Amino acid sequence: MTAALALNDTLPGIASIGRADTQPIAVPSLARLAGAGKIYGSGETAVTALADATLDIKPGEVTLIEGPSGSGKTTLISILGLLLKPTSGEVWIEGRNVSSLTERDLPALRARNFGFVFQGFNLFPALTALDNVAIAIEMKNPRAKDPRGEARRLLETVGMAERSHHLPADLSGGQKQRVAIARALGGSPPIIVGDEPTAALDTKTALSVMELLRELASSHGRAVVVVTHDPRLERFADRVVRVEDGRISAID
Amino acid sequence: MWTLARKLLLHDRLRFAVAIAGVSVSVMLVLVQVGLYFGFMNTASSIIDASKADLWVGKAGSESFEFASPFDERAFYKVASVPGVERTERVLMNFAQFKLADGGDLGVQVVGIETTAGHAPLLAPWNVIAGDANKLSEAGAIVVDKSEYPKLKIDRVGHTTEVTGVRAHVVALTQGIRSFTTSPIVFTDMRSARSFMPGLGDSAVTYVLVKVKAGESVEAVKQRINALPHLAAYTTSEMSKRTRTYWSSRTGVGAGFFTTAVLGVIVGFVVVGQILYSSTLQYIREYGTLKAMGARNSMVVRVILSQAMISAAIGFVVGCVLAVGMQAAMAKANLSVALFPGLYAATLVVTIAMCSFAALLSIVKVLRLDPASVFKG
Repeated sequence: MTAALALNDTLPGIASIGRADTQPIAVPSLARLAGAGKIYGSGETAVTALADATLDIKPGEVTLIEGPSGSGKTTLISILGLLLKPTSGEVWIEGRNVSSLTERDLPALRARNFGFVFQGFNLFPALTALDNVAIAIEMKNPRAKDPRGEARRLLETVGMAERSHHLPADLSGGQKQRVAIARALGGSPPIIVGDEPTAALDTKTALSVMELLRELASSHGRAVVVVTHDPRLERFADRVVRVEDGRISAID
Repeated sequence: MWTLARKLLLHDRLRFAVAIAGVSVSVMLVLVQVGLYFGFMNTASSIIDASKADLWVGKAGSESFEFASPFDERAFYKVASVPGVERTERVLMNFAQFKLADGGDLGVQVVGIETTAGHAPLLAPWNVIAGDANKLSEAGAIVVDKSEYPKLKIDRVGHTTEVTGVRAHVVALTQGIRSFTTSPIVFTDMRSARSFMPGLGDSAVTYVLVKVKAGESVEAVKQRINALPHLAAYTTSEMSKRTRTYWSSRTGVGAGFFTTAVLGVIVGFVVVGQILYSSTLQYIREYGTLKAMGARNSMVVRVILSQAMISAAIGFVVGCVLAVGMQAAMAKANLSVALFPGLYAATLVVTIAMCSFAALLSIVKVLRLDPASVFKG
């Protein structure tokens, strides 16, 4: 049982912030894993990638997920991001258990709730920064009224307005990641999930990207969940979730 | 979607050029091969199609228009007396030897027609570009096609020669009247035709052309003529179709042209399929990212289909231009490529279908793409 669940173990989707001098105040969780697990294969060949993971994702918080390679970090964020179905436990999004939803139902849920940032940026090399962001907005919501206008605003938010017409090949690693963050923000999802978003960047750039993610959480109320191996990023985090051997071993 | 599709295609211009080349060659092959087929078929039935007759009457059992057996002229009068027949004209067709200027001989297809003064004949040379076809009634007068000048070794109206040893002179020149048998067509009147082909006798007829009285049923008159012994009547469109079918099936020309056209489609399919698939593989992580962020499969599939449609549209236009160029080049070699709106429309449908099917492998790839794969390094 994790600390987060211990604070509020009867109301799925509702987390609490405990303060020493007052009663706990209920804060709605944006997402919640409740005893989530993932087992690949069956019988003697079964491999447990994640077991009994319980975690609340709250607005305005930066959560770092750390652990050695193969510990289950990626499985954890894949289940949290509705990219992978757990074999046990529950996933709560928008206040409801979505564990049993099929891939047919999940894209819309992902589009409303998640933006993803990757180590390799995953930007279309043929598209400008503006087009990369706009196309993601359009893909998420084909009825979006002004995807290019929204893309411009988001690029401005991440400090890339002046480079909006550059192709990824003409941008530095840090600039590409800022564009990727702008793309993740398309459609205003409340949760940004980053898979080692600073791993391919030099220290200075990595820290500036984390500052940006921190800012998005603090000023814009987004929940930011970042998988990382880099302990220098801990200073940007509200919580550090440590994963070892497929289990959440600690939440600091 | 169109913007993304277009930019993805144009990002690698060499690959895009190869895709367009594949579609274009495919479109050109389909148009030219099918156009050649229709060109040949038009040639095969051109004399029939140009006639103003309602019915063509020939000897029963004749399979080929060109090689039809002649019959005695008495049948002509029997046909003329069938109720419902307004007018009849005789046609005598056979092969004869045309004396060339260098002393050699060339086999020609003589078409003897009636040149009765007072009304337009049911069959007469058309597309006359020089001379006077009305002079066909002169003894030994002939009309030949300009495209056959090199073969016949003549260069002007007024040229004199011999057909089967009988003096003949060119009174008019046509354009675009050619025979499927490759033997030049020589129009002349019945009297001259009989002199050019003495072996057939003085009363031979190959076809009787029938004009049905206004208000009479062509089908009913046809049945009445068919009741006559040893004769078979066909409407002009039936006769045309019969002739086309004969040449198409007997020579295998149809199968040959269509096989090449199908091969063209297969080439286009393989080239476009390979190009789209390699493009999809190149951007697979980006597609996965979009799916992870909530893009529905249908949206990603639309991007790939849009690429296929852009390739189809541009390839079709380029292919049409190439086909028109080929048509012009082949015309110089006296080969007729019949390009017409229906063929363009059918080829466009084939091109769209070809590119859509070529995109299937890519579509299956993105449909099966697990969005969680974006986290797998």
